[in-house]
Amino acid sequence: MSNLSLIVIGVIAAALLIWFISVFNSLASLRVRIQNAWAEIDVQLKRRHDLIPNLVSAVRGYMEHERLTLEAVTEARSKAVAVSSATIADRVPAEAVLTAALSKLLLVAEQYPQLRAVENVQLFQEQLVSTENRIAFARQFYNDEVMKFNTAQVTFPRNLFAGMLGFSPATMFTVSESERANV
Amino acid sequence: MSQANSAMQPGSSRPIAGPRDRESFLDAQRRNRHATWRLSAVSAVAAVIMGIPLALTITPLLYAVGLMAADIVSLFTPLPAGFWQFANAIGQYGTAALVWLLQGKSSDPQTLVVGGAVLLLPGALLSAVLWRGVNALFRRSGVGGALMALKAREPNPSDLGELRLADVVQEMAIAAGLPAPRIMLIDSPASNAAAIGTSPDDARIVVSRGLIEQLSRDELEGVLAHLVASIGNGDLRIAFRVTSVFETCGLLVALINAPFGPHARRTLWRVVRYGFSPKKDEAAGAAEADALASLLTRGGEMDFDDIDTFFNSGSSKRSVLRSIRNFLLFPIFLTNATIKISLWFFSFSMLGPSIALLWRKRVYLADACAVQLTRNPDGLAEALRKLNSSYARIPGGEWASHLFLVNPRGSDRLSGTPASTPQTQVLARAWAASATAGDTPGRSGDPSLVMKEIMTTGRAAMAGDQQAMARMLAFRQTAATAFGISEAEMPSLEDLAAAQHSDMQAMRRLRDFSRRVERNQPNRERSSSKTNPSSGFAGFHPSLKRRLKRLDRMGAHVALEATDRKIWMFIAFLAVVLGPFALLALGLLVVLIGILTMTSLTFIALWMAVIHQVFVVFAHH
Repeated sequence: MSNLSLIVIGVIAAALLIWFISVFNSLASLRVRIQNAWAEIDVQLKRRHDLIPNLVSAVRGYMEHERLTLEAVTEARSKAVAVSSATIADRVPAEAVLTAALSKLLLVAEQYPQLRAVENVQLFQEQLVSTENRIAFARQFYNDEVMKFNTAQVTFPRNLFAGMLGFSPATMFTVSESERANV
Repeated sequence: MSQANSAMQPGSSRPIAGPRDRESFLDAQRRNRHATWRLSAVSAVAAVIMGIPLALTITPLLYAVGLMAADIVSLFTPLPAGFWQFANAIGQYGTAALVWLLQGKSSDPQTLVVGGAVLLLPGALLSAVLWRGVNALFRRSGVGGALMALKAREPNPSDLGELRLADVVQEMAIAAGLPAPRIMLIDSPASNAAAIGTSPDDARIVVSRGLIEQLSRDELEGVLAHLVASIGNGDLRIAFRVTSVFETCGLLVALINAPFGPHARRTLWRVVRYGFSPKKDEAAGAAEADALASLLTRGGEMDFDDIDTFFNSGSSKRSVLRSIRNFLLFPIFLTNATIKISLWFFSFSMLGPSIALLWRKRVYLADACAVQLTRNPDGLAEALRKLNSSYARIPGGEWASHLFLVNPRGSDRLSGTPASTPQTQVLARAWAASATAGDTPGRSGDPSLVMKEIMTTGRAAMAGDQQAMARMLAFRQTAATAFGISEAEMPSLEDLAAAQHSDMQAMRRLRDFSRRVERNQPNRERSSSKTNPSSGFAGFHPSLKRRLKRLDRMGAHVALEATDRKIWMFIAFLAVVLGPFALLALGLLVVLIGILTMTSLTFIALWMAVIHQVFVVFAHH
């Protein structure tokens, strides 16, 4: 009989081990996805930094009257670039200012009917819209993945072991109201 | 926007009354994902059921071939006695199972199980091997290869619309966390899009130029989010699996037909050649794969007439030799007919519909994922509405129509206005060209409106309005030039009027005319017979209304027309009245297939016995 009970215990232990491994693997792969998503945001922010000088010089000729707006964009960009090697939390305010400056630039460009007819300006607008969208979508993807990761950790029965296996909830990428208003 | 507005006019439609159950896109995704799991189980069961009569008919054929080979070999070198004992045992087990099937005489269960295995396994094994082979053969080209060979180009970044398209694809790929698929732009006025390829890593998105021109940025985002989500969900692999089942059936039919006709042999030869072709030219290879797939799928749908021509060839001049030959080969003819009928029946009534429903669930799933990516259900809803009321057929995509965002045939519409075909577009242009200073200018933007205008002017002309008559005559001239036919060939006003009062002869003349016009079109599309792999009575595309309803639940602002209760009552009435008859017909067909299977089994068994005896007698001499 002891043989049989040993076998039973062994099977249960193996099943538990397999389950543990699968929980660990799924959580680990979710964590890698989050890291990738975060890297994507980084890539898109960098892309925006690289794009802005070209965009500004492309429309400078058409927008002589709006030199202030253009300068604000350039300044916000240089500030964002300056902190680009810092942690996320430190970068968010500078990037939020840049976003605000760019949206103002878009708004201004909308106000000139003669500008809207120029093909270069249209292409410029499209690039700007897409740049902003890319950052927004990268952030959305990151937040979706964080939500998946956190949900996977807090649901029963994984919540009993997630901490033990070395997982902790990730933080979402949110822009606070004060930063949004900081224009 | 004009179509959308006309559909949203007060009176023509109203929002559904009562509380609407909202659903988050995550819930919708989960629901549809579970539904696809269930439906794949159902499809697998259907495939197995379809396999039973197939295996039953193919197995004896395999035995016959094996026996003949053994007989021929034993003419030269006698085979060991063990082999004949083994063959004898197989025959006895098989006969026992057959007797039980035909007469219900029970022998012991063990014999029956072995007998069943003897009858089913070889055929099932052959089908499985063929299926694996088809999978391995076509894996490298994936689905939608025909589109790959189209004259497509990359988007041009200095064109606003194309830059926007490229940007939106990048954005959606970022939103889905996938590598950005390559874009193939087709210069076609049709507006449709499809995702093709084998996996998320090498997926491509085919977009026609008309789509860019017709949709706003939000709508474009919705459309591309749907395609990217579909790629991310692994729909390409599912589509591939689905077609491979039908391709296997076609390959089986081609194999059986091969000894009898050039058509099947040519197909097989193309398959073999494709298997050994160098893998350099990707696009051409993919196109060939798609052409083969289309050929094989049609083979499964009784398209190979080789064996019939073979047997009928003797009917014109009756020679003794030929009738002897026909008599000898009759069992194979019967087997072929049985396989064709059972393939057709089961794929029409079971496998096709369950796979079509499965595919619809995938479409809903991709819609729900698109809402997650864009967080804007209105964009997709509005785009779907627009695309469904415009010309959506992309040449080369007929066979793979299930891969497209909206049905290229454009069969379902909400507003009831006919989809604009090339013909109506040509007519609309001709109408605009015939306008003189005094006339109302043709509203060339919407062909369906122009068609209405033409009809009203025509009616006015018949009623005696001189100005309208002059306009109609001018139009007749421009339209004849546009269609490339002489003016005399155009239908007269009297014919149009008579056809409206359902005069048979006038209608026939009009039909002749439209056929002639179709022949004259430069890029005439093939008829619809090769659109979908056998989908049975259920289409692969969910109706626009159902998609909009689901998007509406996820928060889109669509004004859905309330369902017409009268139609539903009519359908229910029909179902109650005709349902029993349909069931009876289905039952009769199943019985017929059973009888055919048994007959072909018996005939081949007899055939085998006779041939074997002939060989034995021959060997003794």
